[in-house]
Amino acid sequence: MKNTNSQKIRLGLFVIIGTMLFVLAVYLIGQKQNMFQKTFTISAYFQNVNGLQKGNNVRYSGINIGTVKNIVMANDSTIKVDMNIEEGIIAHIKKNAIATIGSDGLVGNMIVNIVPGKGTDKVISDGDIIASYSKIGAEDILSTLSVSSENAAILTSDLIKITDAMIKGKGTLAVLLNDTIMAKELRQSVTNLKVASRDASNTISEINQIITSLKTNDNTVLGMLLHDSISGQNLKVIVSNLEASSKQIQNVIANIDTTIVDFNSSEGAYDYIVNDTTLVNSLKSTLKNINEGTDKFNQNMEALKHNFLIRGYFRKLEKQKEKEERKKQQ
Amino acid sequence: MEIGELTYFTIRCFKEVFKKPYELKEFLRQCYSMGNRSLLLVGITGFIIGLVLTLQTRPTLMEFGAVSWMPSMVGISIVREIGPMITALVCAGKIGSGIGAELGSMRVTEQIDAMEVSGTNPFKYLVVTRIMATTFMIPLLVIFGDAIALYGSYLVEHLKGDVSFALYFNQVFDSLEFGDIVPATAKSFFFGFAIGLVGCFKGYYCKKGTAGVGIAANSAVVFTSLLLFVIDFIAVFIADIFYDL
Repeated sequence: MKNTNSQKIRLGLFVIIGTMLFVLAVYLIGQKQNMFQKTFTISAYFQNVNGLQKGNNVRYSGINIGTVKNIVMANDSTIKVDMNIEEGIIAHIKKNAIATIGSDGLVGNMIVNIVPGKGTDKVISDGDIIASYSKIGAEDILSTLSVSSENAAILTSDLIKITDAMIKGKGTLAVLLNDTIMAKELRQSVTNLKVASRDASNTISEINQIITSLKTNDNTVLGMLLHDSISGQNLKVIVSNLEASSKQIQNVIANIDTTIVDFNSSEGAYDYIVNDTTLVNSLKSTLKNINEGTDKFNQNMEALKHNFLIRGYFRKLEKQKEKEERKKQQ
Repeated sequence: MEIGELTYFTIRCFKEVFKKPYELKEFLRQCYSMGNRSLLLVGITGFIIGLVLTLQTRPTLMEFGAVSWMPSMVGISIVREIGPMITALVCAGKIGSGIGAELGSMRVTEQIDAMEVSGTNPFKYLVVTRIMATTFMIPLLVIFGDAIALYGSYLVEHLKGDVSFALYFNQVFDSLEFGDIVPATAKSFFFGFAIGLVGCFKGYYCKKGTAGVGIAANSAVVFTSLLLFVIDFIAVFIADIFYDL
């Protein structure tokens, strides 16, 4: 069972090829993680890294240019992300570049995207910090969506209630939709409104014409008032006269006022008549006595009529009266 | 009791490794017979696994419109788990049973006793060289197995999806990390050690009679296979702790 040379060679080849494959795999993996090439480090601050991890790719305009080196909390609300970038790419990244965190495809790993900034700026150097822009994360979108869906659910439930009510004929809208008579009446109302508005517009145009004619025609009162200067002067005079008259009237009224006051306040006959109650009482008793006197006088006169001395005179008067009536009748 | 004996056997093995004389020729001969002669078997197995894995996964990924993730998925699953495990199981069947049967028959035919009488250390000459050979050859076989399995997977992707060689392997290595390849390689050393150790243990302590040889070979394969899964579990568990931190 000796080892032959061919066996040794075969074994050697086996070991060498196996080892080379392993080294090649290690090299390729290392190269993907920028372990065997010169790199420089840049950083960016984010509010939320959305699950970014060490070793995730960094892309510049879609090309893989490095990996995430480190993620540390800078303070209680800011996260510092250090990135290893290939040295060969340094000439292309400017200081105004902006870093964003996105995902590689819909369900892929998180990546840092570096986007070129607007305008020109100096080339970036080792240890620089670039600006960052936080996109809306999937969680934020989902939370907004959940609120929207809740609102949509409430809206749809309300809509169902409304449509139910409308189908059952409840409410104004349902009446509007279902009541054919009302629709006809509405149509009629609209037609009437149309006619009314047309008439109104005609009326307005007529009024306009009248006003225009009034304005332009000097023979009318308005035209005269607007255009006739003589009449205007006359009117002014009248108005001034009226003013003077009103002043005089005012004076007269004042005089009358004072007279009335004097009349009220003086101790003349008026005051005696108006305010003295004893006079009224005596007048009342006098009138009463007069009434009684006249009654008694009437009685005396009736008694005289029946007296034989005067009775003949009254009979003559009656006969004369009867004769006149007969004549009238004939 | 067997576990205790195996522990004692392992400690003795470690002690004997560093003792002179180093049986280099025997070690190289074992390396050749275990490594080179298992390459074809491992290669065919790996190639078929690569083909089958890709063919089986492809329809499912197509449903999700994620066929472009095939190289990443196949690459990670082969390098991390399937490659080392399949290679180790194949080697457990071929090498473990071979060692068990060989040493068992030597024990039965009293060749080991004869070596002891003649002054040669049979443990060092027979056991240590074999364990060392499996320990170093299995990782290499795993690397070959991985490479061939990935190539098999690439062939399917190339034929069905018109994916170029560069794109396929670029995507594979893009998704692989040191966290995938280092633990996988480390555990394949343990796989090799386990295959050699159990094979030698079962053969070295083979019971008398021809039936004992068969039992030794059979139990070497069964026990090794079981041990491989246990080691795999522990290795994945430890790797998970280290690479998650």
